[in-house]
Amino acid sequence: MIHNKIQRLLTKKRCTLLGVGPMSINCVDAAIEISNQFESPLLLIASRRQIDSDEFGGGYVNSWTTCNFAEYVTNRDKKGKILLARDHGGPWQSELERKQRLSLRNAMDSAKRSYKADIDAGFEVIHIDPSVDIHGIPSRDEILDRIYELYEYCWSHAQRSGKEIIFEIGTEEQSGSTNTQEELDYTLQSINQFCDKNRLPRPTFVVIQTGTRVMEMRNVGSFDTPLRVMDELPAEIQVPKMIQICNEHGIFMKEHNADYLSDEALYWHPRLGIHAANVAPEFGVAESKALVKCLEEAGLNELSDDFMALAYSSKKWEKWMIKDSKASDRDRALIAGHYIFSKPECQELKAKAQRALDEKQFDLNLFLKDAVKASIYRYMSNFKLLK
Amino acid sequence: MKPIATIILNRNLPDPTDRLYEHLARVDGDLTDVYVLEAGSDISRLSQYCSWHANDPHTQKHGLRYGRGMNYALLKLYEGRKWSNYDAFFLLTNDTELGPNKTIEPLLEILNSHRKLGIVSPCSMRWGERYLLTNDSTKYFWFIHNNALLLRREFLESIIELTSPTFMNFIFDGTNFRGYLIESELIAKAYSNDWAAAITSSVYVEENESYLLEKADLIKTDKYQENIRLYLEEGRLWIKQKYGFNSRWSMNQYAKSFYDLFFENNPELIRYRI
Repeated sequence: MIHNKIQRLLTKKRCTLLGVGPMSINCVDAAIEISNQFESPLLLIASRRQIDSDEFGGGYVNSWTTCNFAEYVTNRDKKGKILLARDHGGPWQSELERKQRLSLRNAMDSAKRSYKADIDAGFEVIHIDPSVDIHGIPSRDEILDRIYELYEYCWSHAQRSGKEIIFEIGTEEQSGSTNTQEELDYTLQSINQFCDKNRLPRPTFVVIQTGTRVMEMRNVGSFDTPLRVMDELPAEIQVPKMIQICNEHGIFMKEHNADYLSDEALYWHPRLGIHAANVAPEFGVAESKALVKCLEEAGLNELSDDFMALAYSSKKWEKWMIKDSKASDRDRALIAGHYIFSKPECQELKAKAQRALDEKQFDLNLFLKDAVKASIYRYMSNFKLLK
Repeated sequence: MKPIATIILNRNLPDPTDRLYEHLARVDGDLTDVYVLEAGSDISRLSQYCSWHANDPHTQKHGLRYGRGMNYALLKLYEGRKWSNYDAFFLLTNDTELGPNKTIEPLLEILNSHRKLGIVSPCSMRWGERYLLTNDSTKYFWFIHNNALLLRREFLESIIELTSPTFMNFIFDGTNFRGYLIESELIAKAYSNDWAAAITSSVYVEENESYLLEKADLIKTDKYQENIRLYLEEGRLWIKQKYGFNSRWSMNQYAKSFYDLFFENNPELIRYRI
């Protein structure tokens, strides 16, 4: 049913579905409200670092466990427009599994327990990504075997529990490089064969590298530039070719890392036939920028400095930086901002700010939520998701 | 008679131009005549192999760039009644770096064995396209971004401006000064006239961007970043004014639609489709 609903939407409207990273409670609220306002479906795509089950200590977003998060969303999503999605589930996708240096078997079991919690909580889109391996580089067929095992597990558990799920597959993240046609063809053919043989539903989405890559606060991939990116196929060739292969295999193409793409690039997504795209850090940065702007404009510079210092010292910006980056400390803090929203120090800082803003009858969280909404709106508008 | 005319476009970089000329003369001299066009170069910075020197004040100040420069040289050959002597024209800029082995011979072989090819581009070791050329070394593309192109005369004759040809309109559109999507426009014209455009991994050619990055002052051209900015700004205006396109993706779809049509009309060539 979910698959058919998505298929109807994509064929009828020829739109691009938007996957929103749940970067904060304001971001989640913004996504729920805007999807209900425009009666347009949105995917909330939670990575295991953002939200995971109790066993894994929850995630950095609002300290939610999978169950709490799903309950929160389901209660507020009055019109049922949100699809809860697990983004990059799989072995070693949790910090804990990496820290404990779990063996393959244990990491697979651990991933299954995380998926079980997802399905029990009502997640409907399950992304299976076993591309991470802390003990070596798995071959293409080893990755496929791990997909099969997790796929079968999730489907059996969903069947037993009377839950409906659809699948997303994809084995790369943020490489920014391009899948080869042969690779994609082989993967899709193998997975479809596996599904048919085992009477499982075929996957709904496949992650395709379209030449998007997020670094700092911009998209540095080839999608949005007519200039050559070393060793990459130009997006002009890659995108139409990959869409053609997906269409031949009857699977929807999902782009990851669409953050910060220009309006021009986004506008072309539905026209080119890109079925879905994920955006995450941009929404977190939009909220951090709004917070700093609000504090500074209200003369609460000390609180603004405290927030920036807290964000900067988290060092969560490190993985986003371009080599030899000249980004300022302020930029680095803004990049890391959303990782600390749920820290007690940040909560306290925001409470202090709200008390100061009460005099002006200014609702800080409303302001932050609106900033994220504006950012989500840009995508929905370009993706033809508005009525 | 040699079947190929190679044109090297130079502006104030005599050393790499001379090296390129000498390499071609030594390695491929049996198959090509080599012509050097000086696009407003200073008199003291001409290649010793200069064939033509465009030196009107405007060209001295701004150069000719790819489209105007290649039009200028090709029109010289046409007016000089040398045009019909050649089967194809190999267009190069002074920052092109060729491999140690023959370049022209394998390109000519490809042109001869693919009768529908109007455009052949060598591949580069820095391009992702080379991964598409592992089983078959030559494939037909709807998008090629390169300065080194071998163009079949017969194809060019289907698109050249003969009513009042000048360096602004002979083959390329000279109003597109910096050459934004200049290859895409040429490729669309090729496929729309039932000619194909290929990239081959039989020959690798590299572009040495260090000249533009480090010697912009010497070349008397815009700094690299400024050139990129103007290339995009002026280019976007050009496709808007000429085609009513607001995006490079429109031009890409435009070229691809003719590409798809080409294979409908030439199903026997489907194995060369990417």
